[in-house]
Amino acid sequence: MGNKQTIFTAQQLDAYQDCTFFTRKEIIRLFHRYRDLAPQLIPLDYTSGPDVKVPYELIGSMPELKENPFRQRIAEVFSEDGEGNMTLDDFLDMFSVLSEMAPKDLKAYYAFKIYDFNNDDYICKSDLEKTLSQLTRSELSEDESRLVCEKVIDEADLDNDGRLSLDDFQHMIGRAPDFLSTFHIRI
Amino acid sequence: MSLFPGGGVALGKLGLTEEDIMDEIESGKRDLVKELVAMSSREQIQAIRVLPMCLEDKKHIRSQVHDSKLSKHGLQLTCFTDCSEQVSRSFRRCGANVVSARQAMKLWQGTMKEVGGKFGTSVLSYFIFLKWLLMFNVFSFLINFGFVTVPQLIQPPNKTAAVGFRGLELLTGAGYFNQTVLYYGGYSNGTIGNEPVYDMQLAYFFTIAAYLVLCAVSLIYSVARSFQKNFVLSTTGSAWRLLCSWDFSITSEKAIRQRKNNLRVQLKESLSERSQRAHISTSAKLKQFGIHLGTWLISTALALASCAAIYYLGLYNLEVIKDSQDSISLLTEASTLLLPFVVSLINLIIPLLYSLINKTEKYSNPRTQIYVIILRNVFLKMGILGILCYYWMYNVPTTISCWESFIGQDLYRLVIIDFIFSMLESFFGEFLHNVIGTRCLPSLGVPEFDIARNVLDLIYAQTLAWIGIYFSPLLPLIQMIKLFLMFYLKKVSLNQNCQPPRRSGRAAQMQTIFIALLFFPSFVGALSMVAYTVWSLKPSEHCGPFQGLNITFEAVALWMDRQGSVSESMWPVWIYNNVIKSELFFYLISLIILVLIFFFWQITQGRKLLITLLREQIVNEGKDKAFLLDKLQKLQKEKQTTASSQRPYRQIPQSFDRRQEIEPDYDQDFEDLPGRPLPEEDTGPVGPPFTSALIQAMMARRQAEEEEEEGY
Repeated sequence: MGNKQTIFTAQQLDAYQDCTFFTRKEIIRLFHRYRDLAPQLIPLDYTSGPDVKVPYELIGSMPELKENPFRQRIAEVFSEDGEGNMTLDDFLDMFSVLSEMAPKDLKAYYAFKIYDFNNDDYICKSDLEKTLSQLTRSELSEDESRLVCEKVIDEADLDNDGRLSLDDFQHMIGRAPDFLSTFHIRI
Repeated sequence: MSLFPGGGVALGKLGLTEEDIMDEIESGKRDLVKELVAMSSREQIQAIRVLPMCLEDKKHIRSQVHDSKLSKHGLQLTCFTDCSEQVSRSFRRCGANVVSARQAMKLWQGTMKEVGGKFGTSVLSYFIFLKWLLMFNVFSFLINFGFVTVPQLIQPPNKTAAVGFRGLELLTGAGYFNQTVLYYGGYSNGTIGNEPVYDMQLAYFFTIAAYLVLCAVSLIYSVARSFQKNFVLSTTGSAWRLLCSWDFSITSEKAIRQRKNNLRVQLKESLSERSQRAHISTSAKLKQFGIHLGTWLISTALALASCAAIYYLGLYNLEVIKDSQDSISLLTEASTLLLPFVVSLINLIIPLLYSLINKTEKYSNPRTQIYVIILRNVFLKMGILGILCYYWMYNVPTTISCWESFIGQDLYRLVIIDFIFSMLESFFGEFLHNVIGTRCLPSLGVPEFDIARNVLDLIYAQTLAWIGIYFSPLLPLIQMIKLFLMFYLKKVSLNQNCQPPRRSGRAAQMQTIFIALLFFPSFVGALSMVAYTVWSLKPSEHCGPFQGLNITFEAVALWMDRQGSVSESMWPVWIYNNVIKSELFFYLISLIILVLIFFFWQITQGRKLLITLLREQIVNEGKDKAFLLDKLQKLQKEKQTTASSQRPYRQIPQSFDRRQEIEPDYDQDFEDLPGRPLPEEDTGPVGPPFTSALIQAMMARRQAEEEEEEGY
């Protein structure tokens, strides 16, 4: 557990450790998971901070994300270019927020961004309908889907502007104690 | 920490230059760095970790904080600050190494991940609960073994006619095991060693007392924490289900498909619930009430009947044993197994009857149904344990000579037979159910893992272990082995036979209820029984560490007297005489606690009122915000039309739409949803005017500043 690894410099590892919820060992283990996705693309030596990205198709094929209905949105939210191609930083950030040590507010912020399909800082009815279709295999009829979305907005919209802002969402999450354990991917 | 409006704003829509926005964001960052520099290192790290920014920005902020910290201390000895930085960094590294070492030693980490991935969080909670109970037993075994058994093994007491080892001991716990350190009877009442005298009586008493007190503290703390986290303002309704309940940790395709189906079914149910609620007539209500009453009567009758049966069986058992105390034949010994067998059989069959009865009832809320089943099972199990305790406390001490060992043996038998029945239950309940459900009767279906029933079984087993600590100090070892094997047994059965649960239930609330059940009837009951034994019953005359005393607690009283006469250390004696023995002290404490409870209750009432008031305020603020932004845009529009030539870089589009909702393109296919703003949205009804209230406010402020400058 000493300074035997040659992948990162000590400063890089310290920076990663301070900015994510992972320990050194986990960061190195995650690096190897990242590298396994595209071994010919990712160098073993990150001391010079190379700028490489793993394309979204490979990220989406990870066993932890493969079946998740929101994997594309997750990759987009955490990737720098907004399209799902992730650098090592994005990768670590993603799993750090989705780990069990991240606090509720941080998770709620990112969950909000994931469910906000059109990236306008509000979850409006269309975002909810898209979420619903992802979660129920598009088998609810249009009427039912519309009714459910209306119900959601009725219950959760506090400032009555017809859509959910981050505050509304965080307030609703505050009343759902399961959220911390369900918004969690083990790696 | 401030949240930046950075993230998802499509700047192109507003037509602002990047410069203005970047300037504002930079100044925001500078404020953030200033805040961070003012904190201590550990707080800094925690604060940086929870910033909602991408990793690169966080690293950037971190380096800025470091630089400004260094520049602040620039005047002081750089060597010193360097050294202290190194030291604190190496401490942090050490701490991180310790944490990762602890994590590597965590038991069953891989299995838990696998189970969580296939079956979801609620089934995983059963295994986490099992692991937690295992920790209690490991701790108990270690301190009992260390403080009570090991000294006794060094100087074993004189044994009377030892019986040879026959195979039956493993099941009945009697015979060869009778005189060993497994039971109370195997301990002497003397002292061990010469100069630092180790008093076995005090060791026995204080070890068990210390363990029970620690358990109580740990349980109370867990219940309180769990309650605080999970029972705050619980929600109902589909908002929660849609946005919060999707379990991201499930990785198996089948499980996910199932979840999606369940969610759909639940949503459909909740939509139809609304229409159904109004249509219950009085006669139907009366009928339902009658059914509920009937089922409660039946279940109570069943519970009482089983308790009576167990009591009379126990008495009969006592008769058989009493006659042949010393030379117990094989048959008599085997007949002692009858009582545990019947108890476990009752524990197996009656809950099944309860769930059958439950199916005839209709509850408006599925959660109420689960609570009712849990309540009935708890009554049954605690009733059985209660009647057994009564039998042990009243009938056994008067009949049998070394009665504590006998109770210890009874408990040993109960624990072992309970384990055997759990294995059988898994086999019949899950394996056969699966086979029948898939081959013979497809309508029956694949079984689900019944979390409530399994957790209640665990709680029952743990209660037995807690009761048994006084009578059989090594019983935690048996319980440990049992829990260990149970983990693997349940895991295998789960993987082979069960499907993921259909209802995505309130896992967190169920956790709280289970921990509360573990504390309230289970631990408190065990504690009261041990307390009653220690304070009221006369220990047996010829065996055990408390032989010859009137009550067990007398050992402490005698010790205090001895200390008092030696008069070297007066304060424990003073505490004993004035605090523990005096009733006034306990009255005062109870009174103070009641007053405090009343105060806290009033505070919670006040807070509830505050919450409703704040909610109203949020709604009003929302309306104010909408009104003010409206006004802001009107004013800016006016400014635009008057000064459009002077400010070419602020291009707010003329086709200004004040709609509060965005109407997106419904025709778009749901499959390929990019996260980017669609290029078509630039021309159409552009710029949701309320997209970034902050951006608007910043613009207005900038304008106001510039006007001020111009004004000078």
